[in-house]
Amino acid sequence: MTAPALILSDVQQAALIRKLTALADDEIILAQRGGEWTGHAPILEEDIALANIAQDELGHAGMYLELRRALDGTDADALAFTRSADEFTSSRFVELPKGDWAFTMLRQYLYDAYEALWLDAARKSTYEPLAEVANKAFREERFHLQHTALWVERLALGTPESMKRTQDALNALWPYVGQLWQPVEGEDGLIEAGLLPDLNAVKTRWEGLIVPHLTIQCGLILPPGGAAQPGRDTHTEYLAPLLDEMQSVYRAHPDTPYW
Amino acid sequence: MTDLQPDTQWPRWEIFKQDTEKRPYQGVGSVHAGDPDHALLTARNVFVRRPAAVSLWAVREDDILNATPEEVGTHPEVLDTPGETDTYHVGIKKTHKRSMTFVDMVESVEATGPGDALRQAREQHADALAWLVFPDSAIARTDDDPGTVESWFAPAKDKTYKQQQYYGVIGKHVGELKREGRMPRRATEEPHAGDHKVYDHPHDASPAELQTHEVQKPEVQK
Repeated sequence: MTAPALILSDVQQAALIRKLTALADDEIILAQRGGEWTGHAPILEEDIALANIAQDELGHAGMYLELRRALDGTDADALAFTRSADEFTSSRFVELPKGDWAFTMLRQYLYDAYEALWLDAARKSTYEPLAEVANKAFREERFHLQHTALWVERLALGTPESMKRTQDALNALWPYVGQLWQPVEGEDGLIEAGLLPDLNAVKTRWEGLIVPHLTIQCGLILPPGGAAQPGRDTHTEYLAPLLDEMQSVYRAHPDTPYW
Repeated sequence: MTDLQPDTQWPRWEIFKQDTEKRPYQGVGSVHAGDPDHALLTARNVFVRRPAAVSLWAVREDDILNATPEEVGTHPEVLDTPGETDTYHVGIKKTHKRSMTFVDMVESVEATGPGDALRQAREQHADALAWLVFPDSAIARTDDDPGTVESWFAPAKDKTYKQQQYYGVIGKHVGELKREGRMPRRATEEPHAGDHKVYDHPHDASPAELQTHEVQKPEVQK
């Protein structure tokens, strides 16, 4: 370590903890949704691929929560497996049920584009531990994005049935995707200090990437957007049952050693 | 099943992996995919999430000609298989040993078609167990720009990778079971520990049997 450690104010530290947790929560919930396909994907190769993607997202959650542990000593497993729906700060976008393959691929595509671009910007964070994590996770997101962009295109340009399902998925997902961009309390201060990427700038890049892909490349029609988004304390009815299942083993056997 | 369903599988692609820039491409298995890009993306997930790699080739099975010495003996016309004049890549299978790879790409030859390429492969590698040839034009390749290598292949370096046989079956490794005389003596026979039958679950044994020998209990691993 050559660079001097960045001194965080109490306000900054609290905001950073909220942001790291929100990032991790989106990853955990989306990974769980991805994992629901294990053994059920259309073909074996995609079953493996989606399990890989879900595992990568869970790995990113682990990295974010490791950064949080360094700040306040909280345990990643305890955070993931004991908090209730009210305490989670995931977006509704990742909570929605897995749907069909078109829905799953389109959601993962929109998310991968968001995450890849956010991480790309976060590589320049003045908070060195976050910049390191971003460098590592960005490589995987770039590959995810190639995979899911390909699927969205193949489905949209495939058969009338796959086109219809992809458009239906876009119509269903579009009203929710904006919540990914909802800042946590105190995030503005961290952006000004250079610790976190400028959300608006990342969102502009994201739109510049996904809108031409969806419309020009894939021939999909973008539904009207721009609806005001609630904060990350607003969840869907789907989060609590998801957590019930995801946390059941940990709750039943909290002291079980894992391998 | 009396109704014959049409084959709805996507084409099969054989995947060849290069571990480092100095190593030959090796056949690692196959994927089903709709097009070359899709084949490469799924191949990366299936074959190189963890093992080392710097490049992948995907080749449609229709573009590959392969034969064993026995097949050439019974069907010598395979050496006349027509096709395009091209550079053909030659792969050979050298061993029956269980392995992650089963074909090494050893060289490329100029040939008037796949049959001609196979003929050359057979002359130069007479002792191979099988030969495999495909034209250079049939290869879908991963990009070799730094960004692709970083995102497709570099993450594997941080992940633990162990050969499949490292992981034992449930409970114990086959080798241990053999040494303890607990492997079935015939394929149809139930497992025994010495002369005692081994049950998958303690409740399967009658109380009397439970008293005569110890039933294997699962160990909790740390």
